[in-house]
Amino acid sequence: MIIEKFLNKWILFLLLIIPLCGLVFEEPYYITLTTKVIILAIAGIGLNLALGYCGLISFGHAAFFGTGGYVTGILSFHALNDELLFSWPIEFFGTSEMLIIWPIAILVCAALSFIIGLLSLRTSGVYFIMITLAFAQMLYFFSISWPTYGGEDGLSIYLRNSFPMVNTMDPFTFYLICLVWLVIALFVSFKLINSAFGMAFQAIKENEERVKSVGIETLKVKLIVFVISGTIAGLAGSLYTDLNRFVSPSVLDWHTSGEIMIFVILGGMARLYGPIVGAAFFIILEQTLGAYTENWQFWLGLILILEILYVRSGILGLFDKKKNNE
Amino acid sequence: MNNKILNIKNLSKSYGAFKVTDEIAIDLNFNEIHALIGPNGAGKSTLIKQIVGSVRHDIGSIILDQENITDLSDVERAKIGISRTFQVSSIIPSFSALENIILSLLNGSNKTFQFFKNIKNNKDLDFKAKNILKEIELIDKSEIVASQLSHGDRRKLEVGLALATNPKVFLFDEPMAGLDENGTKIMINLFKKIKLNTPILLIEHDMDAVFALADRVSVINYGRIVATGTVDQIKSNELVRDVYLGYEI
Repeated sequence: MIIEKFLNKWILFLLLIIPLCGLVFEEPYYITLTTKVIILAIAGIGLNLALGYCGLISFGHAAFFGTGGYVTGILSFHALNDELLFSWPIEFFGTSEMLIIWPIAILVCAALSFIIGLLSLRTSGVYFIMITLAFAQMLYFFSISWPTYGGEDGLSIYLRNSFPMVNTMDPFTFYLICLVWLVIALFVSFKLINSAFGMAFQAIKENEERVKSVGIETLKVKLIVFVISGTIAGLAGSLYTDLNRFVSPSVLDWHTSGEIMIFVILGGMARLYGPIVGAAFFIILEQTLGAYTENWQFWLGLILILEILYVRSGILGLFDKKKNNE
Repeated sequence: MNNKILNIKNLSKSYGAFKVTDEIAIDLNFNEIHALIGPNGAGKSTLIKQIVGSVRHDIGSIILDQENITDLSDVERAKIGISRTFQVSSIIPSFSALENIILSLLNGSNKTFQFFKNIKNNKDLDFKAKNILKEIELIDKSEIVASQLSHGDRRKLEVGLALATNPKVFLFDEPMAGLDENGTKIMINLFKKIKLNTPILLIEHDMDAVFALADRVSVINYGRIVATGTVDQIKSNELVRDVYLGYEI
């Protein structure tokens, strides 16, 4: 546990030092790469609450990640083209202000995860996996067949959305914005898992019947966790659109759900920093192995199989003997 | 004045043609331990599950403290005062004994939906949980992870979890199963104390414990109550001897 805490500090240190080196040595590529890790880690932190801490095996978090992305893309697209988004109750031409986009993306993703959660949490096990997957795939196919916003080709936004008094087109500035969101996501996650509510949802993962028997409304608890989880993933999706200045149906695809799940499993489920380690490891593999072979995911699969067979508690679990032996 | 805190009328449940419980009528008075005995598969645990609401009944009604709770969900029944233990220890394995008890205290203290305060800093819950651990003689093991507790200690913890909810009635499903002599003695003394405030519907195979504790005993066989009475009445009942107790008593 002490080693893990030490490691967590190192992880944060690396997330700071790599972009700083990129800045000093004028290598913006490393800044962008770290920003990507941070954004994917935020999505992972969201899923980790549901999957790692509450035992909700959601295979549909791409729905929230992608919706956050599309909300950002659509608002920005309308603002940049000065096109009316809706005319009632007021005329709204979209916006390219991050401070307006974020709350809208958060609200839309919270509402969406509430609806999906309400319908899917009445099931469990494989049915829950399938129903969350089905919702995400519905949105995926909807986005493909929506020509207004690019359909299969996706939607480009030519300028990154703006933030007061800073230049968001500067990679290091945008990295800092994302880093702040990462710290907020970690803080929210940390506070939640150590609260009374956190105690309830972690107990549900292990023995829902017992939790019900002491009078705790498990459905309500799971729904709240699912909404918080989906909202955090949606926020990550919003940042991801701004990072790439592009959003396409691929962010809603089941591959994205699988990748977010891989970040959580690789890093270590129910470990606060697990998704950061998982996302970083994923990107490192993509960048290193990907340079040699197109089929780098074969090796990722092999690592995942070995991890599930021999480590289970993820990369961070390697440093926690007790958990690793469970 | 009605002395019945729990009143079950004509409760029946069938799986196809098989009747698990058949027009069960049983009640529980204030300050009473009412034991329910019967052979394996007689329907005792299914009856408990029907009372707590985890198994839906086909017909019948359940009245708790003058309130008809027949249509309430399992969580709603737990909230209004039905607390149970499980036949096989059902705890949160990765939580310590203390954390298990604190979890049980959450609903009663309206703390479940407290999102950002660190639960470990809640002195009130900590104090209450430690008092319960003292009562069940587990205070020395409060920090031990529940999965590492012995079988006997897990049974005690089960009872502790039920105690923490501060219910109107307890439904204890074989709480003494697998306990040694000392463990059973601790449990018997604890139940005698508990019943002064809260009545207990007790399912138990340990007849010495049942006869030491019960004010009334009901015998269930093939899903039907075949006899109800005091310990002496049950001991001398021919039918009960036939179906369950045997002739050695």
